[in-house]
Amino acid sequence: MKQRFPDFIKKILFVEILKGLALTFRTMLKPPVTRQYPKERRDPKPGFRGQHAFVRDAVTKREKCVACQKCAIVCPSRCISIRYTTDDSGARKLTKYEIDALRCIFCGYCESVCPVCAIVLTETYEYASYSRDGFLYDRERLLLNWDEFAARLKRDSYFNMFWRPAGCDVRRLPAGKREQQAIPAGRKPEAKSQKSEEENTENGRPSPSVGEGGRI
Amino acid sequence: MELLVTIAKTVLYVAAVFGVTLLHVAYATYFERKVIGRMQGRIGPVEVGFRGLLQPFADMVKSLFKEDIIPAAADRTLFFLAPVIVVASVMTSLAVIPFFNNGAIANLNVGVLFIFAMASLAVYGIIVAGWSSNSKYSFFGSIRSAAQVISYEIAMGISLAGVFLMAGSVNLNDIVLAQREQPLGMFAVLQIVGFVVFVISAFAETNRTPFDLPEAETELVAGYLTEYSGFRYALFFLAEYISMYIMAALIALCYLGGWALPGFVTRALPFLEQVPGIIWFLIKVYAFMFFYFWVRATLPRYRFDQLMAIGWKILIPVSVVNIVITAFVKRWLM
Repeated sequence: MKQRFPDFIKKILFVEILKGLALTFRTMLKPPVTRQYPKERRDPKPGFRGQHAFVRDAVTKREKCVACQKCAIVCPSRCISIRYTTDDSGARKLTKYEIDALRCIFCGYCESVCPVCAIVLTETYEYASYSRDGFLYDRERLLLNWDEFAARLKRDSYFNMFWRPAGCDVRRLPAGKREQQAIPAGRKPEAKSQKSEEENTENGRPSPSVGEGGRI
Repeated sequence: MELLVTIAKTVLYVAAVFGVTLLHVAYATYFERKVIGRMQGRIGPVEVGFRGLLQPFADMVKSLFKEDIIPAAADRTLFFLAPVIVVASVMTSLAVIPFFNNGAIANLNVGVLFIFAMASLAVYGIIVAGWSSNSKYSFFGSIRSAAQVISYEIAMGISLAGVFLMAGSVNLNDIVLAQREQPLGMFAVLQIVGFVVFVISAFAETNRTPFDLPEAETELVAGYLTEYSGFRYALFFLAEYISMYIMAALIALCYLGGWALPGFVTRALPFLEQVPGIIWFLIKVYAFMFFYFWVRATLPRYRFDQLMAIGWKILIPVSVVNIVITAFVKRWLM
């Protein structure tokens, strides 16, 4: 009986309702949290796992991939397919590298396992396409993705945090990972992309004639 | 000649009230979306025009050009008639509302009763809309609406009876004038119980949250509006907002002193007498409109049995007790 009486009073005086009204009124006086997306874009935090890309090597102007297939093996959704040829010295030469971005779950395993820091999930998050083919990234498309990303990068340099997985002793990492430095950004994208297109046509032609290697 | 001038004046006044009300309704939607947006941490409409100020017109043009879908099984005559009944009866109520001293189009002696009669007529429109759509959702929505409006009209009328006793009149103009010498210049102080009952009933009467069961989206799609589209839908929408304005105006007139300021304020600051009464009236109406939106942003919907229980078991007995006490005090103590 003692408990019920205050409840009754509370109900008559609309205490709970007034509390709710006070809350909404306070919220009204606060600034809204809306972000007007196409007008106000937010910069992704470092470590954001977005569109796939091949890091374009400063010296060779091509991808650094050595066709070791580690990424294809580690990939949980098996969206990476690799083909390669082996030359007389036993070195592998990449002939095909394809990522089906629609199957990718953006776990980032491929970039942490890559021994030469070739594949990377960039911070690009706007890459819609009208067709499924638009999400099937081959070598050239992956390199192009990198160029686009590098041209838009607002920081001075880029270093993917998954290239050096946290909690892993640096000395135990493969040489390609240990020696990887932050990639300086702010290069001229126009000259870069033109060059790459020239090279694409040069390198693109001989690759189909080479016999196909193993496939995962 | 005299008659012609009077008729012309009245027609012009009616047209003015009609146009101004439509404009107010258009911006009530904007006001509502802004207020509810801010209360939910959003920003509301901002794209059309400066700060979204042209949004109501964009919506109007959109609803005018939308395809008008009529269900194949609908009763076409009644289907066309229903929104007209609702809008006409709601609009007619505007005629008796005094926006300033003697500012009503028709200064009826039974002004409040007239508004109640028109509100009851609007229910016919809703029932007809639900019946003629030939859809179960529309039908349930209209039945709920009828049950709700009829139940709450009782509580509403009885709570207003307290005001009638205090004022000694049912004429809205006289009710406002009678409030001048009340404490704070309004009946809402002495008639606080009736005031609270009336406010709650006003929410139910206009089918607004937390009593928006006829349009309960989660259960009934859009209630009696389900099968309506395009401009016919806009008409129902218009009627809902006008009836909100009418309820707000009734509260301003009967409980908050209408266009008049309390006596002690005008005695202390005589220059306020120069301000046209319609300004004070609109401030009071918009304060209550804001309250409508505020409650909508805050409260969830009641269950139907709770709605009926509140109406019949709480509001009606409370308002009856209120009227009895008011009558005794008025007869023996004043």
